[in-house]
Amino acid sequence: MLLNKCFRLKVLVLLLFVASWIGAQHKLKGIVKALATNETLIGATIEEKGTSNGTITNVDGEYEINLSTGNATIVVSYIGYENVEIQIDGRKIIDINMGESTVLIDQVVVVGYGVQKKSDLTGAVSSLKGKELERVTTPNVEQALQGKIPGVYVAPTSGQPGAGAVIRIRGTGTLNNSNPLFVIDGMITEDASSVNPQDVESIEVLKDASSAAIYGSRGANGVILITTKNGKKRKNAQLSLSSYYGIQEPIRYIEMLNGTEFARAYNQLRGTQFYPDPTIFGEGTDWQREVMHSAPMANIQFGANGASDNISYNFSANLFDQEGILKNTSFNRGAFRLNTEMKLKPWLTLGNNTSYSIIKEELGPNVVTSAYRTPSVLPVYQEDGSFIDPTFFGLALGNPVADQFYKSNNKSNSTNLLGNIFAEISLLKDLKFRSNFGYNVFESKSRYFEPKFQVSASQLNRADRLNIGQGNGRNWIWEQTLNYFKEWKEQTLGVLVGFTAEERKNEFFGAGRESFPGTSDDVIFLSSGNDTTMTNFGGASDEAMVSLLFRTNYSLKNKYLFTASMRVDRSSRFTPDNRTGYFPSASVGWNLGNEAFIQNLNTFDRLKLRVSYGILGNQALTNRYPTSAIINSGLNAVFGPSESVNQGATPLSVANPNLKWEVSSQADIGMEAGFLNERLSLEMDWYRRYSYDIIADVPIPAFVGSQTNPFVNTAEVLNSGIELGLNWRQTGVFDYNIGANFSTVNNEVKALAQGKNEIFDAFINGEPATRTTVGLPLGAFYGYQVSGVFQNVEEIASSPKFGNEKPGDIKYVDTNNDGVIDAEDRVYLGSPIPKITYAVNFGAGYKGLDFNADFFGVHGNLVFNEKETSRFAVYNWEKRVADAWTADNPSGSEPRVTNGGHNYRPSDRFLQDGSFFRLRTLSLGYTLPTSLVSKVKVESFRIFVSGTNLWTRQTFTGYNPEFPNSGSPFKVGFDNGSYPIAKSFQVGLETKF
Amino acid sequence: MKNIFIVIIVLVFSSCSDDFLNRNPKGNLTAETFFENEEHAVWATNAIYANFRSWEYCGLPYLGATDIVSDDADKGSTENDGPYLKEVDDFQFDATNQTFSTIWRGHYQTISRANIAINRIPDINMPDALKERLIGEAKFLRAFNYFRMVQWFGDVPLVLTQLTDDQYFTTKRNTRTEIYAQIEKDLTDAIAALPEKSKYKAEDLGRATKGAAKGILAKLYMLDKKYDKALTLCEEIISSGEYSLMPNYNQIFTQAGENGPESIFEIGSVALQASIVGSGATPFNMVQGVRGVPNLGWGFNRPSDDLIANYEPGDPRRQATIIYVGEVLPDGSTIVQDNPEILDERFNQKAWVGKHPGLQDNGPGNIRLLRYADIILLAAEAANELGNATKALEYVNMTRKRARGTNTFILKDLTITNKDALRTAIRRERRSELAMEQHRWFDLQRWGIQNEVMTKVGKPFVANKHELFPLPQTEIDLGGGSLSQNPGY
Repeated sequence: MLLNKCFRLKVLVLLLFVASWIGAQHKLKGIVKALATNETLIGATIEEKGTSNGTITNVDGEYEINLSTGNATIVVSYIGYENVEIQIDGRKIIDINMGESTVLIDQVVVVGYGVQKKSDLTGAVSSLKGKELERVTTPNVEQALQGKIPGVYVAPTSGQPGAGAVIRIRGTGTLNNSNPLFVIDGMITEDASSVNPQDVESIEVLKDASSAAIYGSRGANGVILITTKNGKKRKNAQLSLSSYYGIQEPIRYIEMLNGTEFARAYNQLRGTQFYPDPTIFGEGTDWQREVMHSAPMANIQFGANGASDNISYNFSANLFDQEGILKNTSFNRGAFRLNTEMKLKPWLTLGNNTSYSIIKEELGPNVVTSAYRTPSVLPVYQEDGSFIDPTFFGLALGNPVADQFYKSNNKSNSTNLLGNIFAEISLLKDLKFRSNFGYNVFESKSRYFEPKFQVSASQLNRADRLNIGQGNGRNWIWEQTLNYFKEWKEQTLGVLVGFTAEERKNEFFGAGRESFPGTSDDVIFLSSGNDTTMTNFGGASDEAMVSLLFRTNYSLKNKYLFTASMRVDRSSRFTPDNRTGYFPSASVGWNLGNEAFIQNLNTFDRLKLRVSYGILGNQALTNRYPTSAIINSGLNAVFGPSESVNQGATPLSVANPNLKWEVSSQADIGMEAGFLNERLSLEMDWYRRYSYDIIADVPIPAFVGSQTNPFVNTAEVLNSGIELGLNWRQTGVFDYNIGANFSTVNNEVKALAQGKNEIFDAFINGEPATRTTVGLPLGAFYGYQVSGVFQNVEEIASSPKFGNEKPGDIKYVDTNNDGVIDAEDRVYLGSPIPKITYAVNFGAGYKGLDFNADFFGVHGNLVFNEKETSRFAVYNWEKRVADAWTADNPSGSEPRVTNGGHNYRPSDRFLQDGSFFRLRTLSLGYTLPTSLVSKVKVESFRIFVSGTNLWTRQTFTGYNPEFPNSGSPFKVGFDNGSYPIAKSFQVGLETKF
Repeated sequence: MKNIFIVIIVLVFSSCSDDFLNRNPKGNLTAETFFENEEHAVWATNAIYANFRSWEYCGLPYLGATDIVSDDADKGSTENDGPYLKEVDDFQFDATNQTFSTIWRGHYQTISRANIAINRIPDINMPDALKERLIGEAKFLRAFNYFRMVQWFGDVPLVLTQLTDDQYFTTKRNTRTEIYAQIEKDLTDAIAALPEKSKYKAEDLGRATKGAAKGILAKLYMLDKKYDKALTLCEEIISSGEYSLMPNYNQIFTQAGENGPESIFEIGSVALQASIVGSGATPFNMVQGVRGVPNLGWGFNRPSDDLIANYEPGDPRRQATIIYVGEVLPDGSTIVQDNPEILDERFNQKAWVGKHPGLQDNGPGNIRLLRYADIILLAAEAANELGNATKALEYVNMTRKRARGTNTFILKDLTITNKDALRTAIRRERRSELAMEQHRWFDLQRWGIQNEVMTKVGKPFVANKHELFPLPQTEIDLGGGSLSQNPGY
């Protein structure tokens, strides 16, 4: 035995000797870099295939290895990257570029109050790396998310520079605020518009109950976790500088009647030849082009990133400047961020994330609607150069160009300090304590000066006036968490317990005066105005919450995964009796891919099934005191010969002290799989969100006398659907990927409170255009169906009608067949909620060239063209009116020209298909060869051109069929003339050194 | 470890955490801190008056539902402006016209404020005399609103308390009889509780009085054809010595006439210096103001040709009621110029106000709702219906005498004694005296001659339909099927 052992040892020594001897025969060296970022990779493993011979790269990404033969093959591997195999063919120097693997089996994802390995997750969490956002040319992270994640619907709120987006995760589960919760480096906020996409390390979207329940009462609409970049270990700091410049234009123009067509239509309206020769007007004035222009945008970002053994840091500074396509609007932001982490002791880490931004905005008047309305027969100016007064066509018309001229001295300045500081203490080997203090301090100032002017009786300002406003907010959250994590041979166990407290406070005031001694900004300050004209106002609001949290994860043999969580929230928004909410969840996962019977199929690289269920809450009302009956003051009465103003006050609104949490039960079944060496990956989810006790301020009859609608726990809504994400990625010299995602939402109202059958809203010309009722989607369109146009009196006489119809008027459908047309004939007309949203992404890289295209689309919703229905004066008409019915032009589809009344009832005539498919972004870049740029000490240098919203397929006649309306869920999909979005074209560069 | 958890759990659920979590609205009293003292009772009552100045109460829709719908006035303004009022003027409206939803909302909001005062003030610990008066004021104001509503819409929901949420969708319309009974009860209570006008301190002038309550009750009795009761009340007002006709008709609607001897009930308004739309202002003046040069307003509510024809030759009240192109404004400030965008424009002089701080919408004119001349002419009408021509003539000649002034050639005293002829003459006199004061539509209704009169002026009036307005479609939709519509709509 002994001999035997000795022999083996000798053989081993001999082998080692031989190996090193052979190795001396072929020495290979080089640098390992990431293909996409051109960054060096530290600690990548280089192995000689079929041997145990190997090494790792140093802090500069360099390696050196002695190979047994010049014909050897090396395998390079690095966590998160595709393995690379290279036959060295006698070469001495090989630089290796590694492509990231599409699905990262051991990718770590951020979950609420911690991190988890992707393979251990049992909830539906979608993760987006900062890299995918770096090349998006939108100033805020919200709009950048459009089309990136299945089940996450993103629509811009408006085209106003700096505007955010409305985000819906898995449909609309409430009648209330449906916005998801944002958590930026642990700080809970209501929006993420202050976050610069280029600072983002990763974004995780918690979509199901299992993942979001740890946010309890605020998780029902989903949670978006944003983690900003921290320092990466390297020898020297990496500096980066990037910049782009772009031009934006309105995405399209709405086709209106030109001068000649308007004059003809107006003649038809009056029944006279008011304009004897309509053709003299020709094209007339295109008011949309008068108020909009192509506008520049520019961005420059500087960054410094690095880490040593004990300290890591990331610094960035950013300047973004955007003019709006509507004249006299702009957005200008300067921001910096400093994130640091310090390992002070083996058991103690301190860190902070801090961002500060200064925003300047020019808020010119929104004249989109008035440009749409102003008749094209009017010129902008009169012959003497003064603005034309359009009120011949009605008092409700103002000259939009004059508004832009007089009402544009409207500026806002704001600052926002957002961040957190934290300490992490290792109490025991497996037990960590973390204390995190997050804060958000912001202030905004507005200043609006309107000079004295008069265009018409209704478009005037009798005295020059200055109004200033100032608001500030202080929000903080303090979290204490204990994290226990223990790994055994075949099991892991994680436990989290925590306690959090938070408070939010806002305060504002404003003041104004009239009549100033001059019109220059240097002169116009409150005290130079007439002090007998002063006004002022002010107010404040606050809220608070305390919570307990608990979560445990257990995994067995890396196959069977279990998670359970519970959060208890106590909120200031409810009365003490209804204040406490309990939000539990549980989920299981099964890594089928690790089972022998699946491995034997040789089909799947990875296969996981997961199921979750949980209860979440929602309290996100705009009113922070929904249970308090407010006494409204300022309801003054005037008495006596001296006309003194006597204070008056009374409750104007009904309150509901019994209001309680909105609740939603959510179930999710998901599947994740990888095939063909992870080149193809697939993720599928089915979900069901059942929301009940939904809080809403439901419209009530006016005879109640309440000036606002009271909040009640009123309805039950079901959202269900599937989400599918599919990716194909091929790495190599020609590197490309194709991704597609697809999600469906089926929204259905299941019950309304107190035996109420229906909720009417969105009143158009005195009739509701939506009716929310059991069995239909929220805010379902409602109104009359149009069957055609009455051609003659005989047809009217023999048809069901209201009674006053004339030839050329709309013929509505007698849906109840009672022989007359009346309110009973209104029916369900369609849904404002897209049934399907989908996105397709292409990316490709070849020898320094990179190409990317993102498409996004929605399908299956209608849009109500509200702007076409309001006619308080004679406004211009949309192009279709050129074909209006007359005795000589017996149009079957377009009624005779009228201004309000019968033909303007809410009907399917004003509903249009809201489906669209858009090329969101398109970019082409070129990275100069390292060999070239390294001579000037530059690590990488890329130039690019890109475009946003360059192409859209839509049938909708307005600018853009996205009207998500973050306010009432009963009025979604109504186009009442919002700021149009832009298409843009950029050129830029990125460099690292 | 265990102890830490217990500490945290105690922290979260303790009263200490409740202190952290109890947050109250900022800058507002709340229900818990209101209706506690005398001041609160006064404020809650003042708040009812405040709503009379709101757009919903006295803006364009109100003028549409009073003057414009009647034969006194046309829509006015430029041809294309305010198409919904054109529909009202031309009897082309239906239940979706915003005229009706707006006045409905404005009046029910006012009723709600009155209900709150009536139901909450009794529990406040305060001097009885003031308490009784404030409740009396609130009851008068509630009755005033229901009286208008029943004339416009017929049967309406009779809301007297704060409704609970299940009642929002089950409340039905009450019958005209029930509403009359409630108005009578409220006004009877108010008559008992309210002081005469002269008993108010100067700074309270404009609050509801015993005389005002009697006046509205008299109007209710007239509508209900209880002429004897109406006459008694009118004569109580006349003999109270509280009121007299102003010597000069021209002055009633100027600032000098505000809360003057002829005023029985009016809503005070004032344009405060320091604001754009002051907290004491009304849109009432602006919407009817001269449009063009000078530019004082929107120019709605145009006195009709038919109204002009109603005036007897030389009646100076025509000039005092109508502003014509070329006329010098009452304050002598400027001449009204022709506005080429309006055909044959005229404006309501009774809503005209002189130069005032702020913009047009900062209207400072008190809104006259009941004046002594109205009561005198009601007395004349009642006396005639009761067969007392002598008394009727005595009353009707009072307003003619005042209008005539020193000019003995015009508006001679009436002497007719034939009941029907005298009725016609009193009606004509009433129209001349009270034109453009938003009474005409209600008068036509009371006399039952809406169809006859409106058809005569060429309106497509439909009998058994247009006598009442439609309930707003929004209200029928929101009411969940429990509210019925008026016939014909």
